Amino acid sequence: MSVFRKHKSIVDRASSDRLRHKKKIDKAIKDSIKDVIAEESIIGQNGKKKIRVPVRGLKEYRFIYGNNDQNKSVGSGGDHPLKRGQKIGKQRAGEAQGQGTGKASDQKGDEYYDVEVSLEELAEYLFNDLELPDLEKKQFRFVSHETIKRKGYRFKGIRPRLSKKETLKRKIRRQKKAEKLGSFDPEGDERFPFHKDDLKYHHIKPKIKENSSAVIFFLMDVSGSMSQDRKFLARSFFFLLYQFLNHKYDQVEVVFISHSTYADRVPEEKFFNVGTNGGTMISTSLDLELDVITKEFHPNAWNIYTFYCGDGENWSSDNEKCLDLFKEIKEVSQLTAYCEINEHYSGLADEIDKDDVFHGTPWGTFSAWKNEEMDNLWSKLNPLCDSKFKKVMIGEASHIWRAFHALFGGNKST
Amino acid sequence: MSDWTEKDLLHWDEKINRIAEDLGLDWYPIDYEIIDYQEMLGAMAYVGLPTHYRHWSYGKEYERTHTLYNMGQTGLPYEMIINSNPSIAYLMRENALYIHILTMAHCVGHSDFFKQNRMFADTNPNHIIDSFKSSAKYVRKLIEDPSIGIEKVEHILDAAHAIKYQVPRTPGIQLKSQEEILQIEKLKMQADPNYEPDLERVPLRPEYNVLKFIAENSKTLKEWERNLILIVEESSQYFIPQALTKVMNEGWACTIHHKIVNELNLPDSLHLPFIKLHNQVIRPHLGQVNPYHLGYKLFEKIIEDTSFEEALTIREVHNDMTFLRCYIDEEFMRDMNYFSYSFKKDKKSITIDDIADESGWESVRDDLITNTGLNRIPIVYVDEVGKDNTLSLVHEHDGRDLDLRYAEKVYNYIASLWGDNVNFVSLIENERWEF
Repeated sequence: MSVFRKHKSIVDRASSDRLRHKKKIDKAIKDSIKDVIAEESIIGQNGKKKIRVPVRGLKEYRFIYGNNDQNKSVGSGGDHPLKRGQKIGKQRAGEAQGQGTGKASDQKGDEYYDVEVSLEELAEYLFNDLELPDLEKKQFRFVSHETIKRKGYRFKGIRPRLSKKETLKRKIRRQKKAEKLGSFDPEGDERFPFHKDDLKYHHIKPKIKENSSAVIFFLMDVSGSMSQDRKFLARSFFFLLYQFLNHKYDQVEVVFISHSTYADRVPEEKFFNVGTNGGTMISTSLDLELDVITKEFHPNAWNIYTFYCGDGENWSSDNEKCLDLFKEIKEVSQLTAYCEINEHYSGLADEIDKDDVFHGTPWGTFSAWKNEEMDNLWSKLNPLCDSKFKKVMIGEASHIWRAFHALFGGNKST
Repeated sequence: MSDWTEKDLLHWDEKINRIAEDLGLDWYPIDYEIIDYQEMLGAMAYVGLPTHYRHWSYGKEYERTHTLYNMGQTGLPYEMIINSNPSIAYLMRENALYIHILTMAHCVGHSDFFKQNRMFADTNPNHIIDSFKSSAKYVRKLIEDPSIGIEKVEHILDAAHAIKYQVPRTPGIQLKSQEEILQIEKLKMQADPNYEPDLERVPLRPEYNVLKFIAENSKTLKEWERNLILIVEESSQYFIPQALTKVMNEGWACTIHHKIVNELNLPDSLHLPFIKLHNQVIRPHLGQVNPYHLGYKLFEKIIEDTSFEEALTIREVHNDMTFLRCYIDEEFMRDMNYFSYSFKKDKKSITIDDIADESGWESVRDDLITNTGLNRIPIVYVDEVGKDNTLSLVHEHDGRDLDLRYAEKVYNYIASLWGDNVNFVSLIENERWEF
């Protein structure tokens, strides 16, 4: 009476949905990474360290009941003697196991995936859509930058290079032909599957793109007013910047300058590990930079990028001088960025239209700042702001990433 | 590897069917698919349907089952059967013969239940496979459509899945259409001049089919988006009877497989492992309710107290709620040793509220019922669409508060489907609470 069928399926039917699920998890990783980028543990590490990123599993939200006293559960006591008021645990039995009974799934336990990523992968995740702006072709030294360029199509190729568009076009062509010939009925139940001959692949050619040479100046305030937290944010910012440049470009020169009331050109390790003390004279570092530029990096041959990071608490007599020097640097640089670390910002973040802050336009809508005297360096720099001079404010770790996007994201910034 | 051939299956199947007929069962013919472990995972992810539309959540379900299985937390089920005509059931190739015998007898029980229980009267078993197939085809078409694509399709499906249980829970009852309600209201007005209902109101009565209501009344949804929501709605409606009868259905299938296999006169080499497996399936789960256990024990008690014929009638007319309410008594509750418990915020621990003794068994039984099947899922209905097109939803509060974190996400989903203002009302700690 019953029928038995040996099932010989060639396709794994869940595969596309699993792939889709995995893609979503990947995205979740990407999102979580942005939250952990400023964690102390990754700052100052070399590329070998693995970072654990907790990723929350994808939830499917429904209306479910919460935990109030009226929400009682029922269970079987087995052979155990039971008493009213007896404490039987800290967590609901069902939740602890994280598995529901199936269809009417109402389990609540958060599922976490711990994903290990290396610093390199991290950079890959983070920096894929960012680029140094306005790299001009300059003489003499070149930064090589290998890119792969698509060129035409071929009938043979590897799977990842499958051109969906061309393949689909060929399939449609074949389908229309079949319809005309009458061998396929579009209204019917039958699918019109892809055929091996439909497949077309992108052909690629490696192309060495020769960028002009670039030099990056990292300027950091290490004066006494840079508290532990501020220092941490500044270093995180530079550290990411450094990783970004290393990841994106094979050859860039980096000059590290730290300053208090006087400026020093320091090696990389020292730059990321120095202690702080003394007062603040921002102009000293700018002076030193201009000096280095004159001696070593002529603007005709070099793309110059300058990133300054400090708390903005400059000696007010120094501000005018800074403005002039910044102007001078801006003249010769492709991009100059002034990054101010100020934790007061984080509390006020809600008040600001973020585009306003991060794209260097004047500090218009930030009411708390309006009332303060306009003598600080931040507002003094307003006239300089344009596509070549940008200001960003960092109040807490989560702003670092936004600042990054404001500086390098261009139109792609999210 | 395996200790059986297809011949064995045919042999035992024939015997099983003969005994089942003698018991007075009437079921759909069953098609058994013999599949391997991977395919079983796939079948489970898509609730057994060979033709289900695709969505990433089924990929997640697959991974979840796979992980649980690898960690040894769960065994694969011994049965998976679909309410269709013919019924489709799966046998896992790796299983031993005695498991197949149990599974086949168990499936006869399920198929009989699908065919006889009145909750399933409208599930359209003859065409359900085709209907799912055409839905799957439609979804695939949308995904392949360059002007729509997977992102947009997923957006709608994600949102619709969030309220997929917000459909009526009264299968077998013909709900009145808006026109009919209007007719009734007019008759009432003729009979009683003081009766003045608001006939402009949309909907006229609270609408429990939130999915369908949104699909049909949203002003912003596109045609294909409405169709997608209705696909989800259709699939929910199909599964509602199963959710309403989980305890009975499993209890009945266990009762039947136990009865049949005992009459098969299996050799000891098959019978002893069968007994072991049977006891494993119907064992109580500490701190939880095992529907197999509860349903089996209650049917056992009914058959002992009355007769098997009485049980045959019960499997036709009841659902879990009425089944438990009518047939559980104090002695049964004591035997099952059920208790109710809840999380006490002040004590920060889970505490037993009531136990199955003389004064407590009724309260524990009531809590058991509110925790059975769909009763675990909050009821939300459409109250009204305002003049400004604001959709007003109300949660039917029964003492249990909503989980707000979840409710907020679902609210956002609903708002994105409705495309205009949505108002949501519930009670939290006895105070009115609104989104």
